[in-house]
Amino acid sequence: MDGITGDIKDLAAGIAIAIGAIGPGLGIGILASKAMEALGRNPEAAPQIQQNMILAIAFTEAIAIYALVVAIIIKFV
Amino acid sequence: MFIVLAAIAVLVFSLAGGALGSAFGLGFLSAPIPHIQLAAENITPNPIIGSFNITNTMVGTWIAIIILVIISVVSTRKTSLVPSRIQGFVEVSLEFFINLTKSIAGERHARRFFPLIMTIFLFVITANWVGILPGFNTIGWIESGHHVAEHAHHLEKDLSQVKLQVFDEVGPINVLMPGSGNILHTAQDWENCHPKDSHHVSDDCLKDTQHAGVLVPFLRSANTEINTTLAIAIVAMVMVHFWGFSTLGWGHAGKFINFKDGPTGFFVGILEAISELARLISFTFRLFGNVFAGEVLLIAMAFLVPLVGLVPFLGIELFVGAIQAFIFSILTLVFASMATISHDSHSDH
Repeated sequence: MDGITGDIKDLAAGIAIAIGAIGPGLGIGILASKAMEALGRNPEAAPQIQQNMILAIAFTEAIAIYALVVAIIIKFV
Repeated sequence: MFIVLAAIAVLVFSLAGGALGSAFGLGFLSAPIPHIQLAAENITPNPIIGSFNITNTMVGTWIAIIILVIISVVSTRKTSLVPSRIQGFVEVSLEFFINLTKSIAGERHARRFFPLIMTIFLFVITANWVGILPGFNTIGWIESGHHVAEHAHHLEKDLSQVKLQVFDEVGPINVLMPGSGNILHTAQDWENCHPKDSHHVSDDCLKDTQHAGVLVPFLRSANTEINTTLAIAIVAMVMVHFWGFSTLGWGHAGKFINFKDGPTGFFVGILEAISELARLISFTFRLFGNVFAGEVLLIAMAFLVPLVGLVPFLGIELFVGAIQAFIFSILTLVFASMATISHDSHSDH
């Protein structure tokens, strides 16, 4: 494969964050959709549902952040 | 209608002047080349006393602390039953949090957990919001191309990948002005222009009034460094386990070293211990990743769309900074209340 200019590190950083963001993206989507459903069925429990949804989204998003940190470390360190 | 046209005109102007326009020969606003550094930098080239260095994120934490202390002193100096405005504001935010703490942790433990939870929230939100003020990341001293090239040699990096910014004058305090992005200069170019033996260099190198180097900022947002977030995470987890031990005694250790429920119980205990460690790491990296990625995003957007590109992303930064502070404190609260619940149901086997 002649003609590759640039490091393979750049490619590695790109792939790390690209694949790493698929899972949490899907996860947050599923979480939010279930929360919306629950909110529609029981609007009185809205504060509880909202709080727990934000908590669960924080956990899932942390996984995407791990992938981002790995990509940044590959690129800059 | 006129506002829409004016907005579109400003957008096209800044797009043409920025990085996109410079590909067509138009880049007149020439925003500075982004220089992204993971580790925090020292604010003076030489150590202050002995080998002690002050980093710019340390200054960021000091500014956050000073702001919090000023707000607390001003709001509690003359407390009255009918609160003044700033006392009312502080009371409202504290009341929101103590109600939240009571609803998650129960009445018994809420007063005990509340100081740490509120402190973590206030510190993290202040540090995040202070870090996007103007002046952060743009004012600093200039590390000359000589030192940058030395550093790159020392770390064995490819010199043609290390980009330098170009400044017109170098003083004790420098500001990143537009104009430093027009001239693309890498560390390799610098080395070619300043060879070890001083023979005559060609005119392609910079004029005498221009210096190539890297701006090292004086101020940086406190949580863009792993050390700060790790410190807050260690404090939070140590306090969670301290509360677990002080509420449950040795029963808290019995959750992790569990001989009562047979070999599966033992295995589950080890898994729980590993997940405690994973919580520490996830606290650290969640806050660090969000704030550092926000800073990198701001730097990159300031380079791509100079005048107006920052505006929506500053909004995102405000939101993300507040949410991350809230999440850190609420997760600490949830772990603390889980640690103070004894597993009484296991005794029914």
